[in-house]
Amino acid sequence: MTKSAFITILVFLLLFFSVRFFLFYRNQPQHQNGEYLSFETRILSSPQIFSNQQRISANLDTGERILITAPMYPQFGYGDSVRISGKLQVRVLDNKKLMLVMYFPKIEANKNGKNLLLAVTGFVRQRVTLLFEKNLPPISASLLLGIVFGIKENMPKDFTNDLRISGVLHVVAASGMNVTMVGGFLSSIFSFFLKRQYALVLSILGICFYALLAGLEPSIIRASIMGILAFLAQILGRQRLAAYSLFIAAYIMLFVSPSTLFDVGFQLSFMATLGLIVIRPIFDKNKKLKSLLNKSFVGEDVLTTVCAQASTLPILLANFGSYSFISVFINGLVLWTVPVLMTLGGIGGLLGIIFEPVGAIFLYLSLPLLLYFQKVVSVFAQVFGTFNLTNFSWQFTGGYYLMLISLVIFFLQRKQAKAD
Amino acid sequence: MLKKIIWFGILILVVLGGLLFYQRIKFYDGKLHVVFCDVGQGDAIFIRTPKGLDILVDGGPNDNVLSCLSNHMPVWDRTIELIILTHPHTDHFFGLHEVLKRYNVLSFDSEKLDNKALGFAELIKEVKQKKIPLHYLFSGDAFKTKGGVKVEILAPTREFLAETSPNGMIGENNEFASLISLVSYGSFKLLLTGDTQADELLEAISQYSLSNLSLLQVPHHGSKTGLSFEILNLLKPKIAVISVGKNNKYGHPTPFVLDLLEKAKIKILRTDQNGEVEVISDGKTWKVN
Repeated sequence: MTKSAFITILVFLLLFFSVRFFLFYRNQPQHQNGEYLSFETRILSSPQIFSNQQRISANLDTGERILITAPMYPQFGYGDSVRISGKLQVRVLDNKKLMLVMYFPKIEANKNGKNLLLAVTGFVRQRVTLLFEKNLPPISASLLLGIVFGIKENMPKDFTNDLRISGVLHVVAASGMNVTMVGGFLSSIFSFFLKRQYALVLSILGICFYALLAGLEPSIIRASIMGILAFLAQILGRQRLAAYSLFIAAYIMLFVSPSTLFDVGFQLSFMATLGLIVIRPIFDKNKKLKSLLNKSFVGEDVLTTVCAQASTLPILLANFGSYSFISVFINGLVLWTVPVLMTLGGIGGLLGIIFEPVGAIFLYLSLPLLLYFQKVVSVFAQVFGTFNLTNFSWQFTGGYYLMLISLVIFFLQRKQAKAD
Repeated sequence: MLKKIIWFGILILVVLGGLLFYQRIKFYDGKLHVVFCDVGQGDAIFIRTPKGLDILVDGGPNDNVLSCLSNHMPVWDRTIELIILTHPHTDHFFGLHEVLKRYNVLSFDSEKLDNKALGFAELIKEVKQKKIPLHYLFSGDAFKTKGGVKVEILAPTREFLAETSPNGMIGENNEFASLISLVSYGSFKLLLTGDTQADELLEAISQYSLSNLSLLQVPHHGSKTGLSFEILNLLKPKIAVISVGKNNKYGHPTPFVLDLLEKAKIKILRTDQNGEVEVISDGKTWKVN
């Protein structure tokens, strides 16, 4: 493809994009505090249960997230299609973000909303959750559910908080590594019986199934699209280009639902991936560093963490109001356990659905690593505080990214110069 | 690569083996353990007998009881032999939903009272669905375990229950009955009182001529209606435990009760200040852990 053709396509894509955004936000109703609202939605995460109530996270027609507080019974769950009618309230959070909430609205189950695929994923979710919770201590069970399936509704609040403080909350969001492992696992199994092309198609379907199972959070959608693109590239015999696939994934997601742009999960997932694609390779050019990394056990994880954090720092600060430098170290200590836990938990979950005792054995095997993970996180969360930023301005974000970009360009050019 | 994986596998097996061995020693020490779980405003008391039988008295208002159970039971023990529900109020039964889901429960024993709240109907439905035997307890019932630990139900009598709740429903504020149980192991004696009111407690104590307790659970999270000078004078407990949540809206424990205990020079342990309270006994001596 010539350069001019490429630019033409790019311009067209951007044009479509702006039209989509313009139309979306022109027709976007402005939500008023106290306004009456009735909408249909599908619940894709299990409601959180508090003493006498359940808290349901749902999406409005516009894609905006709304938090609904409802009585304990009847209980709703993953996969339910419901119509919710009630008074909307707009809450201003500590970090000046707006949150939409509804207290005790009328919720009707939509009987026609049954969906076979969701019934299957719902069944798997329920069985796996029960299996983990019956065989592991509560915190370990929730940690493993988060790591393997991105299910984190039953995670104790204190532990979630510890994960956030130590900067490892990202491990309980289903994302790139999950997709890589699911895709790799399925394609190697299918390749045994099937022609390569068919095996890849089935693996892609498997990734979609997994994304649905994990509740379609932005991080898993982004990772799935990128994973699928990588597989497609293999089918079509093309080289895989990570940066392109990231932008295509973001393009598709934002085109379908422009308000995703303001979703913290999307921002973090996108920027972290971009950081890994752009910043990470710079370090590879230094031969000394590279050999050091190969020798050390956790060096790779530390570097990955540094790259991901460097590219997401302002987002972390703006949304969580805190950042702890020690989190790089903690990530280095625990990240190596994640692929092992994914494998043990994934196999245990699959086998356990068929025959519980066999699944339980794999869950037991994961226990030492889970306890190690928990210990590291809870110890560091208690010992080290976080550095808090109360006044956070957009100027900081702008300045920070300008600096980061210039640094990246500087190093890339130096690399180029050396190569010449 | 393969070699690395094998070594890693062996390492995990060794650590797991060590962990299981440690738990085998720790949780089968031949002693009675009683834990007042830190569940906030509510009650959940876990009892593990010297022979490793597990009894849970109430489940607390949330699923905090789960971590309490997993901290005091070996990881492979997923059976709770007996659940006793002192009375059907949310702060005593709610946590049992999750307990039923995650553990095999061999017997569910409750006071013969109903609660209109949907959560309680669901709980009983779950008990029946899982085909767990459901019994109603009255004064005079008793459980004797192999290791020598006894749990005796001292109250309420059928008459007292019929009198306080004529329609079989529990009241929210009025006087209502709650199971009172005496846990004894050798010379160690512990009285669990749920949300008992002073009248019921006094009647039970007099009927069973109870005295010289090791531990008394202060009734109703330290509410002023649960305790009196007369009761303390009869029971003479060494330690009083109050299961209560931080900054609860009821003002529990009340100054009246705290004052009463202090004047009687009884040591007070509170779950809101001390966290969970664990008592260990070998039948002759006992200590707070």
